[in-house]
Amino acid sequence: MIIRPKDTVKLFGVLIMCACAVLICTLFLNSNIDLARIKDQIHGPEMMMIYDLTVSSGNMTCAVTGGALGLTTVVMLLFYVKHYIDAHKSELGILKALGYSNFEIAREFWVFGLSVFTGTAIGFGLAYAFMPMFYRVQRNDAALPEVAIHFNPILVLYLIVLPTILFSALAILYSYRKLKRPALELVRGSKATKVRKAKPAKKGGADVPFLRELKRNILMSRFSLVFFIWFASFCYAATVIMSFSLKEVGGSEMMAAMMAGIGIVLAITTLFLAATTVISGNAKTIAMLRVFGYSDRECAGAILSGYRPVTYIGFALGTLYQHGLMKLMMALFFDNSVLGLPEYEFDVGVFFIALASFVVIYELFMLVYAGRLRRVPLKEIMLEE
Amino acid sequence: MIEIKNAVKTYGAGDSATSALKGVSLTIKDGEFTVLLGASGSGKSTLLHIASGLERPDEGSVEYDGMDITALGDKLLTAFRREKVGFIFQQYYLLPGLDVDKNVKMGAQLAGNRDYRKIIEDVGLGDKLHKLPSELSGGEQQRASIARALAKRPKVLFLDEPTGALDEETGRQVLDYISALQKELGFSVVMVTHNANIAEMANTVVRMNSGRIIETAVNERQKSAYEIGW
Ligand SMILES: Nc1ncnc2c1ncn2[C@@H]1O[C@H](COP(=O)(O)OP(=O)(O)O)[C@@H](O)[C@H]1O
Ligand SMILES: [Mg+2]
Repeated sequence: MIIRPKDTVKLFGVLIMCACAVLICTLFLNSNIDLARIKDQIHGPEMMMIYDLTVSSGNMTCAVTGGALGLTTVVMLLFYVKHYIDAHKSELGILKALGYSNFEIAREFWVFGLSVFTGTAIGFGLAYAFMPMFYRVQRNDAALPEVAIHFNPILVLYLIVLPTILFSALAILYSYRKLKRPALELVRGSKATKVRKAKPAKKGGADVPFLRELKRNILMSRFSLVFFIWFASFCYAATVIMSFSLKEVGGSEMMAAMMAGIGIVLAITTLFLAATTVISGNAKTIAMLRVFGYSDRECAGAILSGYRPVTYIGFALGTLYQHGLMKLMMALFFDNSVLGLPEYEFDVGVFFIALASFVVIYELFMLVYAGRLRRVPLKEIMLEE
Repeated sequence: MIEIKNAVKTYGAGDSATSALKGVSLTIKDGEFTVLLGASGSGKSTLLHIASGLERPDEGSVEYDGMDITALGDKLLTAFRREKVGFIFQQYYLLPGLDVDKNVKMGAQLAGNRDYRKIIEDVGLGDKLHKLPSELSGGEQQRASIARALAKRPKVLFLDEPTGALDEETGRQVLDYISALQKELGFSVVMVTHNANIAEMANTVVRMNSGRIIETAVNERQKSAYEIGW
C-alpha cells in the first residue's frame, strides 16, 4: 500500500462538493420517487400541472447541481492526483525502477475514491435528516397530497456506490496515464517538470516591468487554479442571485436558502483550495522575491492579484447564467395565466447585494493569504533539497 | 564596512536545540573578498544569512557602516536587502517559469537597472536569453543567477557554496566570472565554501568550526580560479 487514506485527507474539497451534490439530489429524487407512488391520487388538470411542475423542477435542480458539482469534482480530483504524483515523483519512480508495473502502482490510486464515498455518504445521511422538513415545505408550497417518506435503496446505488466506483476508476486511469514516463525521469523529479512558457514579449521586452511578467507567468502556469477561482465566483453569483430570484417568483424560502448556502460553501471551499495551492505551489518563488528585497505588497501583487480579473469575469458570467436559467425555467414550467405567479425580472438591487458580499469575501481571502505569503519561511525553503 | 559583533543563533529549543553560532565577531571591509571556510554544519550558512539580513541573530548585532540591521523591522530589513545585498545559492533558485532574461530582470528591476542585458552578455549567456532554467546546464543556471544578483548592483554579494553542484571545469569558470566582475564593479564578496582550495582566491579566509571562528587569515596574494587546486 503506497497511498494511505491519510494522504487523501486533503481532499476535503472533493468531499464537500460530493456532500452538497448528493444532499440536493437525494432530497429531490427521493421526493420524486415517493411522489410517483401517489400519482393516481392526482386529479384535475391544475393539480396535474402542479405535480408535473414539482417533479420536473426537482429533476432539473438535480441535473444542474449534479452536473455542475460532478464536473467540478472531476477537475478537483484530477488536480489532487496530479499534485500527489508531482509531490511523490521520486518514490513512484523508485517503485517503477524496482519493477512494479504502471498498473500495479496506478491501482493504488483507488484510495482517492474514498473521499467521494465519504462525501456522498455524508450528503446522503444529511439528506435523510432534512427529509421530513423538506417534504413538509414542498407539500405546503405545491398543495399536493401528503406523501410518506420512504427509503429508496436504488438511490444508494446511484448516488453513493456508482460515483465512488466511477471516481476511483477515474483516479486509477488518470494516474496510469501520468505514470507512463521513464522511471528515471520520475526519480530525478524537479528537473523534468514541464513548465509552461509564457510567450516572449515581442518588442521592448526589457521595458515590461518584471512583476507584471511574473504575474502573467504565475497565472498561465496553473490553469486548473484559474478554473477554480473562476468557478468560485461563478457559483457564488449564480446561486446567491438565483436564490433571491426563486423567492421572488414564489419559490420556497427553504429552497432559496439551500441554494444560497450551497453556493457560499462551494465558493469558499474552492477559494480556500485555490489560494492555498497558489501559495504552496509558488513558495520558492515567493521566498526568492523576498530574499531579493521585494516588498510584501509587491509579492502579493505578483502572486495573488492576477486572479482578480478572472474572479470578476466569473461573477459576471454567473449572473448571466442565472438570468438565462431563470428565463428558461419560467418559459418551460410556468404558465402565468394559470397560476398567476409574479414575472421574473432581473433585480439590480439583488445583484449589487450579491456583488458587494462577494467582494468582501474575496478581498478578505486575499488579505488573509497576503498575510500567509508574508510568513513563508525563508530559511526552511532554502534548507530544502 | 560590515561589523558582526558577538552573534549567537540557536535553532529549536530544549533537548533538540542546535547552537549554530556561539558568539561570532567578524569585520568585513568594503571591496574585500572574504571566504567562510569550514566543514558541513559548522555554521557558515547561518553566519551568511545573519550577515546579509535574511535572519536575525538571537543575540549580538550586525552593523553596516554603523547602522545596526538587527534592530530593523521586517519592512525595513527587506528594504535594506533590496538596496544593499545580492545572493547566489548552491541550488541557483531561479524562478522556474521565467526565461533567463526575465530572471535577470527580477534583480535589475530592484535597482532600476535598464541595461541588465549587458551583464547577461558578460556571463556568456547572450544567446540563451529566452531559455528556461530547465533548458540550461547547471553551470549556465549558476551564471544566470550571478547575472541576476549583479543586475541589482549590490554593495555586497553573498554566495553560499556557489560551485557546490558544479563540476570542476564549470566551477572554475563560475568563480572566474565572479572575481572578474568584482574587480570591474568593486562590490564586496562574502563566499561560503568547504573547499580549502577555493579559499585561496580570497583576501581574507575565516575558518569556522562548530559555531565559532577558529582562525582569520589574510592571503598575501589572491590566486585566480585557474591557479587553485580543486
Ligand atoms: N532552520 C534550522 N533549524 C534547525 N537547525 C538548523 C537550522 N539551520 C541550521 N541548523 C543547524 O545549525 C547548524 C549550522 O548549520 P549551517 O549554518 O547550515 O552550517 P553549514 O552551512 O556550515 O553547513 C547545523 O547543525 C544545522 O543542522
Ligand atoms: Mg551551508
